[in-house]
This record gives sequence, structure tokens and C-alpha cells, in this order.
Amino acid sequence: MLVDMTKVHVIGHRRHLDEVVARLHALHVVHLIDVTADHEVHLPPLGVDDEQLAELHEARLLRARIDSLLALLPEPPPVPSPAPTIDLDEIRRELDAVGPEIERLVIEMEELTAEQDNLPRHIAALGRLLPLLPEATITEGYETSAVLIDSHFPDVLAALDVELGELLDGNFEIISDRVDADTIGALIVFPQRRSQDVASLLGREQLSRVRLPQRFSGLPFRRALAAMQRRLDELPAELEDRRDRIQRLVAPHGSWVVASGQLAARMDQLAAVRLMGATSHTFVVCGWVPTPRLAEVRAALAETAGGSTVLLDSPPGQSDSPPVLLDNPAVARPFELFLRLLAIPVYGGFDPTLLMLAFMPLFIGIMLGDIAYGAALLVIALVVGRRFGNRPGAVRDVSRILVLAAVWSMVWGVIYGEFLGDLGHRLFDLEPIWVNREEALEPLLVLSLGIGAVHVVLGVLLGIWRAAVTAQSSKLVERIALLVALSGSFLIVLAVAEQLPAGFVTPGMVAVVIGLVVMMASGGAMGLVMGPLELIGALGNVLSYLRIAAIGLASVFLARVANDLGATAPLLVGILIGTLFHTLNLALGVFSPTIQALRLHYVEFFSKFYEEGGEEFSAFGGDNNADPPVEQLNPDS
Amino acid sequence: MEAGLLAIGAGIAVGLAALATGYAQGRIGSSGIGAIAENPELTGRIILLVAIPETLVILGFAVAAMIIVLLGG
Repeated sequence: MLVDMTKVHVIGHRRHLDEVVARLHALHVVHLIDVTADHEVHLPPLGVDDEQLAELHEARLLRARIDSLLALLPEPPPVPSPAPTIDLDEIRRELDAVGPEIERLVIEMEELTAEQDNLPRHIAALGRLLPLLPEATITEGYETSAVLIDSHFPDVLAALDVELGELLDGNFEIISDRVDADTIGALIVFPQRRSQDVASLLGREQLSRVRLPQRFSGLPFRRALAAMQRRLDELPAELEDRRDRIQRLVAPHGSWVVASGQLAARMDQLAAVRLMGATSHTFVVCGWVPTPRLAEVRAALAETAGGSTVLLDSPPGQSDSPPVLLDNPAVARPFELFLRLLAIPVYGGFDPTLLMLAFMPLFIGIMLGDIAYGAALLVIALVVGRRFGNRPGAVRDVSRILVLAAVWSMVWGVIYGEFLGDLGHRLFDLEPIWVNREEALEPLLVLSLGIGAVHVVLGVLLGIWRAAVTAQSSKLVERIALLVALSGSFLIVLAVAEQLPAGFVTPGMVAVVIGLVVMMASGGAMGLVMGPLELIGALGNVLSYLRIAAIGLASVFLARVANDLGATAPLLVGILIGTLFHTLNLALGVFSPTIQALRLHYVEFFSKFYEEGGEEFSAFGGDNNADPPVEQLNPDS
Repeated sequence: MEAGLLAIGAGIAVGLAALATGYAQGRIGSSGIGAIAENPELTGRIILLVAIPETLVILGFAVAAMIIVLLGG
């Protein structure tokens, strides 16, 4: 359902501007509109003055400093309760005093964490190479370099031997061995004075040289390995020490979090000023308020600025485009996600969210139709829902939709007699209540077409209703004619399929002809072409619901393949194979029906009645207010 | 023999339609991803556009089903 909107104009003296704007911001109930776009108010925009512009600059700078520092912290400081009074100068002094120290400690923490991540890799590489290294080779004036070579290219080692021979006149030693299945480790011992030449050669040949961290680079390999191990053991304590020091520094500054929120609110309020109209002494706020909450706004303004502001309200006019606020029962609200994915309806249009609640999970259930898949999906959706239950967003909405889809899947699983495909029948003689999908294609096709006919006709009926409500007579006639022609087509099909007596063919043909003629006549010159196309399109829409049968069949045969493959192997391996394929089938069985059910709504159903393109209601003070560039705020700047 | 030919016919009906759908969806999908990268608000419309050619394979499926149900007895 769409919430009725009331247009409001709040008029007050300029000296009360800040107070009124702050009150409206805290209410979270007014959708502001630009005074220049309001046809009823012919006033120049208020803009922000130099003082406000400077305040905005300062607020942005300070908030950026606070937020960047808070973002560095492992945990935000505890916010004192009740929230303290914020002195921005005091906050600045605190940031100057402890900010650099916190930044230094955070950088140290990052370096320690990187060291903790990297050291095990160096230790592992060196550990593999050390057995190759005889103590005797480490002699004064000689240096050792280690390289790792892909064992698929052992010729590289011979080539390296030749190149080093030419470079060092044979004054070197290579010790190599396989360190794991894919790697050959090689230690090269050579005179220290030729270090640069050897490094150049290894670099030129793109050989993977084992490089130790800077801190250990001068040490012989054995000592380096022991030192790295010791360092790795020390790191957790050092990290903990830095974390403690940061927490001790920030703990008294919970006011920073409060200040950040207050600064964001103030920036929002200053940004909103650009939307307001101005006379020499007054300001005018233009906006929309959900009609049920108008009294709340009136009461709040009466308590603000000594009740000196005036609130004028009026219903939407012909030239107005009120914002759209969806208001559906909690169980249907997740489906608003799919409506937003396409486009929300225009104000005064029809909100089909409740119809999506009725049909979409049903369609998914008919396609998936398996007790075990439904149960698995239910568990997954409930677990995800519990984890994200408190966080509004797409994941929570989808999990709630999937709960409904899972219940319908189990219901249709009972109707089809399916438990992991035909496994239920194989193991415990599970029989279908209505039809076995593997054997009876025809009933499934009839079911799909029946659902399609009902859904498309419902869409056409809604189209008729919308055309009547919006007084679009030509569209109304065209939709009624389409309904007549569609009904005639259904009569003919049912009579030909011997589901109705043959006598229904003639009235059916009469209905089709009348419907077509009216559609062609109501559409003007284009109607001659568009009328028949419209009928063919609507019949095509009904046929499109065959995908419900097609996707369902694919699901049940994939489940059977999983069972057959599992049955060919020994018991445990068979269970493993079966589980793997059933998991894959479940993933496909959720994704594909969801997309197909969505498409049936968007293309086949909505195209009959849905008027999209409304602007979504965005409450001043909510999370979605933009922070525009400063130059947009002041028309004079 | 006759059943085999019917099965081949049904397979061709679905298979060719699926190829056509795949070709169309591939082209729409690649353009659509580009459009979504530029403007994520178009996601719903792109899903809609990508889904439209599926009618081809559904009609192929309808023909295959008719071959099996009506001719296959």
C-alpha cells in the first residue's frame, strides 16, 4: 500500500531558522523539496551565508578527523550514557593531543600484523631449504643465496650452473634438492664480492629468490630461522600491548562518537538550507509529510520557536509529484526489495507487494517441490535470518522470502511425493498425492498454463481497475477488450482440448473477434497493428508460465541423476556423491526458480497494470540525505 | 525407431531454442553488466531484459512437450 502524502510549507522568521531546521531534522518525517521546483511558492532559494559556510567547512573537517581516527581503532570507544554535552573546541584539543599518538600506535599495529602474516611463509620456505645447507659451506668471505625452481622445469638448474660458471669462473657451489612435490630448492654459495653480479643474473633469469625480511637479511640462514621463530613468538604480546595502549588512550573519548553524529546532523541541516525559500525576513520550508503523521509535525512545530512558525498543509495538486512511501504488513515488506529492484510505483498507483507475497513463494515452491530441499532451504533461511535478523537489508529480506518459499516447496514436495527426487520413493515408498513429475508431463503443463491464465487475467483486471480509477477511457476500453478476447481464446482452447463441450468454440470465436475489433478501433491507426499484437502478446505471456513446469522438471531429473550416480558407488562414496549433487541441485533449485518467478512478475504480470517511476520518500534526517559539494549550497558563492 | 525420432525432434526443438536464447542473453548480459557498472540502479531492468529472450526456449520447450505428449501418445 502507498501512504497518502500532504504537502507542507513551514514559514518562520529567519532568526528561528536553525531551531526549526534542527527540530524537523530530528523528526525524520519530512521529505524536503526544492523551493525552485515548487509551483506554489515563487521565492528565491535561501542559500547559506558566509558564516554558515564557514561552519559547514569546520564541521566537515572536524568530522573527517574524528571519523578517520575512529575508523583506525580496533574497537570504538564506549559511548557514555547519558550522552555528554559536546564542546567542539574541547574535541579539537583532544584530537590534537592524542590523535598523533593513536595514529602512530595503529601504524605499529599494522606493521606487526603484517609481520605476523609474513613470517610463517619465510619460516616455511627456509625450513625446506635448510636441510640442503651443510655447515661447512658457510665460510668467511662467502655468501649464500637461495632460489626456488618449479620442479616441472629441472633444466633451469643446469642452465643456471652454466651461467654461474661463466660469470664466476667456476668459483661457486650449487646444492639442490627437491623440497616438495612442485619445488626444487637450490642454495648457491659464491664470493661475497660478486654479490651484485649474482643478484643481477638471478633477476635477469627471473628466478624466485628467497628473500628474508629486512630485520633478518644479514644473518646466516640457520640463525635467521631461529630468530624468525623467536620473533613470531614475541609478536602476539606486542600486538596486545599496542591494542591495550590504544584502548587506554581512546577510552575516555566516547564523546567523539557523539560529536561525529552531531556534526553529521548539523551538516545535513546546513545542506538542507539550500532547498528553502527566502524573503527578507522569513524562510519557507517546502516538503511532503505522510498524512498520518501530519499532526505529529504540527505538534512539534508548536513547541518550537515559541510556536511562532506557521505550518500550511494541502493535498497534492495536479502538477505535484509527491514522493512514494510504501507501507506493507511485516510479512510482505521483504518483497518491497524486488519492487525497488525494478522501480517503485508512481504516487497514487497500485503497490503490488501483497500480490508478490501471494504468488512469488508459491511459484518457487511449485518449481522446487521437494520435501528435503524445502526443509534444507528452511533451515538455511532461518539460520541466515537469525544472524541478520536485526540488520535491515537485502540479506534479511531474501532470507524471509526464502522461508515462505521453503514452506511452499515442502507442501508441493508432499503433493509430488518427492524427497530428494525419487529417493523418498526408493527408500520408504513415498507416493505422490497428485502427480509424479517424472512420469506425468501433461498435468504439469496444464497446471502451469492454468496458473499463467489466472495470473495474466488478474493483471488485466488490475489494469482495468487502474484505467477506471485514473479515468483513462481509451485504455479502459482496450483492457476490457483484451480481457474479452483472452476469455474467448481460453474457451476455444478448452473446447478443442475437450475440457468443455464443442459448442463453446463459437462463443469463444465471437468473443475473440469482438475483443480484437474493439482493441483495433480503440487504438486509432496504430490499433490495427497493436490490437492483434496485444492479444498475441497476452497469449504468449500465458505460455511463458510453462517455465514453471520446465524448471520443475529440470530440478526433479537432476535430483534423480544425483540418486542414480550415488547408487552406482559403494555406500559411503555413494552418499558423498549424492550429497554433492543434491547440494548443487539445491543451489540451482533456489536461484533459478527465484529469477524465473521474478521475471514472471516483472514481464508477464506487471506489464498489464503497473505504473512505475515514483520518487521514493526520503525523510529529512534519515540515513540517505546527501552531503552536496559546498559550491552547490550557496548560490552566491 | 519412431520413439527415437520423436525424442530427437523434441531435443532439436529445445536445443536450437536454447542456443538462440543463450546467444541473445549473452549479448544482452554483457551490455547489461556494463550498464550496471555505470549505474547500479538499473539492476532490476537489466534482469528483466536478460530474462526476456527466455521466452524462446520456453516456446521450444512447449514444442518439445507437444511432440512428446501429442505424438508420443
